[in-house]
Amino acid sequence: MTFSKMFSTMSAGMWRTFGIFALTLLGSLPLGMVVALLRKSRFAVVRGLTRAFISVMRGTPLMLQLLVWYFGPYYLFGWSIRGWRFPSLLVGFILNYAAYFAEIYRGGIESIPVGQYEAAEVLGYSKSQTFMRIILPQVIKHIMPSVTNEVITLVKDTSLAFTLAYQEVFSLAKQISASQTSFMPFVIAGVFYFVANYIVEFGMGRIEKALDYYR
Amino acid sequence: MKKLFLMLLTLTMVVVLFASVSAEETFVFKHGFDLDYPPYSYIDDNGETNGFDVEMAKAVCDYYGWEYEAVPFNWDAKDLELNAGSCDCIWSGFTINGREDDYLWSIPYSDNTQMIMVKKDSGIETLADLAGKVVGVQTSTSAYDLLNDEEGQAELCKTFKSLEVYETYTIAFNDLKAGAVDALAIDVTSGNFLMSGQTDYEFLDEELGSEQYAIGFRKDDTELRDKINDALMALVEDGTYDKIGQKYPEIYDYLSLGK
Repeated sequence: MTFSKMFSTMSAGMWRTFGIFALTLLGSLPLGMVVALLRKSRFAVVRGLTRAFISVMRGTPLMLQLLVWYFGPYYLFGWSIRGWRFPSLLVGFILNYAAYFAEIYRGGIESIPVGQYEAAEVLGYSKSQTFMRIILPQVIKHIMPSVTNEVITLVKDTSLAFTLAYQEVFSLAKQISASQTSFMPFVIAGVFYFVANYIVEFGMGRIEKALDYYR
Repeated sequence: MKKLFLMLLTLTMVVVLFASVSAEETFVFKHGFDLDYPPYSYIDDNGETNGFDVEMAKAVCDYYGWEYEAVPFNWDAKDLELNAGSCDCIWSGFTINGREDDYLWSIPYSDNTQMIMVKKDSGIETLADLAGKVVGVQTSTSAYDLLNDEEGQAELCKTFKSLEVYETYTIAFNDLKAGAVDALAIDVTSGNFLMSGQTDYEFLDEELGSEQYAIGFRKDDTELRDKINDALMALVEDGTYDKIGQKYPEIYDYLSLGK
C-alpha cells in the first residue's frame, strides 16, 4: 500500500473522528449548562439526582459507558440495535462530557462574589437578567482555560470509539497496521491528533483573547 | 377507552403488516468479523475490506441472492455483538478448538497450526531451546490459550524466561525484529503473512498444536447454519472456494474443504 493510499484510506476515518468531536461538543456544551443549573436547583431531589449522574459519569470508564449505551437496549429490553452504533456513541460521549462541563460551569458560577447578586437586585435586575447579563459573561471568561483542556481531551478520547468498532481514525490505524505490518498508520494518526489539537489550541486562544476586553 | 383500544389494535396491525412485508424482502446477511486479522479479514492495499473470509461470505450471499452486510467488530466484544444480533455469525478465522460447546459451528473450512517463529540466526532449533528465552504472543489468540492451558503447552510455557502478551502481532513482530523477544508463538497463517517478503525468519519444525477454523453461530440458529453449510459445499463443488483460496497463498495449503 502506498503512503498516499494509506493516507486517503485513513482520511475517511479522520472525518468520522471529526464528526464525533463536533457533534459531542454541540451536544455537551449546552447540556452541561443544564446539568450545572440542575446541580444548583432549589429542590433537594433534583440536586441529589444530578449529583449522582455526575458521579457515575465521572466515576466509571468512558469505554465501559460506550459499551452499555450500545448493548444496553438489547440486553435490558430486547430491542434491536441495528443502526444504533453511531447514535449510541454520541449519547455516550455527550452525556459523559456534559458531566465534566457541568462541573466546570458550576465552578465558574460559584466563583462570582455574592455581592454582585445583591448589587444587581438593588439595581432592579430580575433573577434571569442577573444570570444572563452579569454572571454568565464573567463565568465564560473564567472557565475558558478549563474548557480548552476538556476539548483537547475530547479530541483524543474519540479514539475510544474503537470499542464499538466505529471506523474512526484510530480503529483504521490499527487495522491498516495489521494488514501492512507497518507502524506508519499510527504515525499518521498521531500527527492527525496533534494537528487537530493544535487547531483547537489556536482557536480557543483566539476566543480567550477576544473575551479579554477589560485588559 | 374504546378509542385507545382501537388505536392500539391498528398500531399492532400496522406493525404486523410491516413485519410480514419486510420478511419477504431480501435477507441481509450480517457478516461479523475482526478487521485486524489478515489474511482472513483485513483492509487490503486498495483500502477496501477484504480477505478470504470476506470473499467467501460474499460468495455465499451471491449463491442465495442475499444482501451482504459487513459488520466489523472489536474482537473482545464479539460475543456481545453476536448475541445482541448486530451480526449473524462470527466468521473471522475463528478457532473451534476449546470453544466446541459455546457456539453452533459450521463445517470447518481451514486448518491451522500453532508454531514458534524465530530469527534464523537465533540458535533456537527445538522447543527445548526456548528454555530461558522471552517469547511473545498476541492476546486472545489460540496460541495464547494453548500456552496457558494445562493440557496444552503450559509446561513448555513455564520454561520460558517470560511470556510477553501483545495487543497485536504487528507490534510483537516488531519486537522480534528489534530483539526484544527471542521468539513468537503464532499460528502458521498469521506467521506466513508477517514473514511474506522477509527472509530472516523461520518456523521451528516442531508444532505447538493444531486447530480448525469454522463459522460460529448463535446456538439456536440451526437453519442459517445449515444453509451456510450447504452453500459452502456447493462453492467447493463449483470451484469458487479453490479460486478464492488461490488468492491467499499464505493460507491456501491449509484450506481443508474438498480435500
